[in-house]
Amino acid sequence: MLQAGFHRASLNAYTGFKSSPYTEGALFYGEKLVDLKAAAGIPTQVDQLEEPKAVECAPGSA
Amino acid sequence: MESNLTDQEAALIRESIRSKYSQVAATGALSCFQYPTGGEGLRQQQYPPDVIRDFPQALINSFCGVGNPFSLGPIYPGEAVLDIGSGAGLDALVAARLVGPGGRVAGLDVTAAMVEKARENAALLGLENVSFQVGEAEALPFPDNDFDVVISNGVLNLTLDKGQALREAHRVLKPGGRLQLADMVLVAALPPDKAGRMENWHQ
Repeated sequence: MLQAGFHRASLNAYTGFKSSPYTEGALFYGEKLVDLKAAAGIPTQVDQLEEPKAVECAPGSA
Repeated sequence: MESNLTDQEAALIRESIRSKYSQVAATGALSCFQYPTGGEGLRQQQYPPDVIRDFPQALINSFCGVGNPFSLGPIYPGEAVLDIGSGAGLDALVAARLVGPGGRVAGLDVTAAMVEKARENAALLGLENVSFQVGEAEALPFPDNDFDVVISNGVLNLTLDKGQALREAHRVLKPGGRLQLADMVLVAALPPDKAGRMENWHQ
């Protein structure tokens, strides 16, 4: 599951159902990661940020 | 996790699985498995009685799941759910009830006879938010990011390329989507005289 890309992948429990002395039912859970950047529009370190614009300061301004 | 089988061996296994589950479609699951099936299987796995109370007896009898994928987390109204290996439709129809008329459920199975049974069962229950089609877990016929939840019950162990099946499940899930899976796993090493036998694929 991890190799397929799932996050929080886990074997949660065995179900008690056995198809042979060697096999038993099990419950697995996994999630597909939320693309936080796409969801929130938050820039990341790999985004190309705009160059800061030069601001002229008038004499005497803060 | 990928298969080392020859094409001929893979074809034989696929055919034996289709043959077994065509038999289950015709007769029900009650004498086909070594673990509880039908109503007793549903009771032991604590399926919600209020959701399945009016399910047809033939549908109940068809249940051969190895666990309860719904026990892994809630399914919310309005969600889109995919059931990989939907059989006669029991889990997909449970999901259809849980997502309600604002949600949708797709069921996929390799056995055409099972897909027909599942469509009949959906019609008997008057559920219009669920559809069934023939297809394979390793090549899901759905677009990327299509489902909120993927469920499966006793099916992944029957796929020849489990890694590819899991990659496909991941592909069709929306970001944040959940995989809720019940399946058979090895809990002890097979003795040499039992390893590699064809019947291991569909016990």
